[in-house]
Amino acid sequence: MYGWLWQRLPGGTAARTGTATVLILAAIAVLWFVVFPWASVHLPIDMTGVD
Amino acid sequence: MRQATRAAGEIFLTLGVIGMLFIGYLIWGTAMRADSAQRQFTNELNEQWGQAPAGGGQARPEQFDVATGQPFAFIRIPAFGPHWQFTLIEGTALAQLDLSPGHVPDTQWPGQVGNFAVAGHRVTAGNPFWSLPSLRAGDLVYIQTKLNDYTYRVAGERMVLPTDLGVLDPVPGHPAQQPTQRLITLITCDPAWTGTHRVIVTGVLVSAKAR
Repeated sequence: MYGWLWQRLPGGTAARTGTATVLILAAIAVLWFVVFPWASVHLPIDMTGVD
Repeated sequence: MRQATRAAGEIFLTLGVIGMLFIGYLIWGTAMRADSAQRQFTNELNEQWGQAPAGGGQARPEQFDVATGQPFAFIRIPAFGPHWQFTLIEGTALAQLDLSPGHVPDTQWPGQVGNFAVAGHRVTAGNPFWSLPSLRAGDLVYIQTKLNDYTYRVAGERMVLPTDLGVLDPVPGHPAQQPTQRLITLITCDPAWTGTHRVIVTGVLVSAKAR
């Protein structure tokens, strides 16, 4: 999977490394700021309210 | 076959890394969000309250008219450490608890006859009530509002189910009785990370002075 993606990145090793780093950081940002906040509300973690 | 195995391995590794990131988010991401909210609430309170008039005398009568999500007090519990302080805001939905411990709507306010109920996260959001189960009878809880300093003394602690709303009654467990005592009830979940039970710490007002 990652090998297949690596083949499709343009440029030489340096350019590919740069592009891959940006893609990884973008994926982490989406997880951290969008997916995780959503998931933490919908999973039964520390439901402190009395209801 | 070999390709399929490798792809499966990569997917599981990726899920593992995402899982670790999520744990990191729950510990540090939620704490960062709560910290910045605490700073903002603290600034808001300091601005709204202005310079405290000369305090120390009798408690001044005060009215609480606080919109959901707005701060109205500080809570300090020296048993949790000299620097342990949080703001209190109105409301205990997740949207509020993720930023600050909150006042349970429709329960009494600081210093009033009845039951002033406060809930906070045990873990996440800076773990405000992490140590709640370690409070002992006699420990002090300080609540500072715009006009007054209230001191409550912890009287007892117990475990209830999340459905046991009686802990919020003006006389806990006796919905029909007229309250005479001024109580505080601190609520968080137990065991940590779960939603199965609640730890309830009750205190009695021992002092109310002008701030």
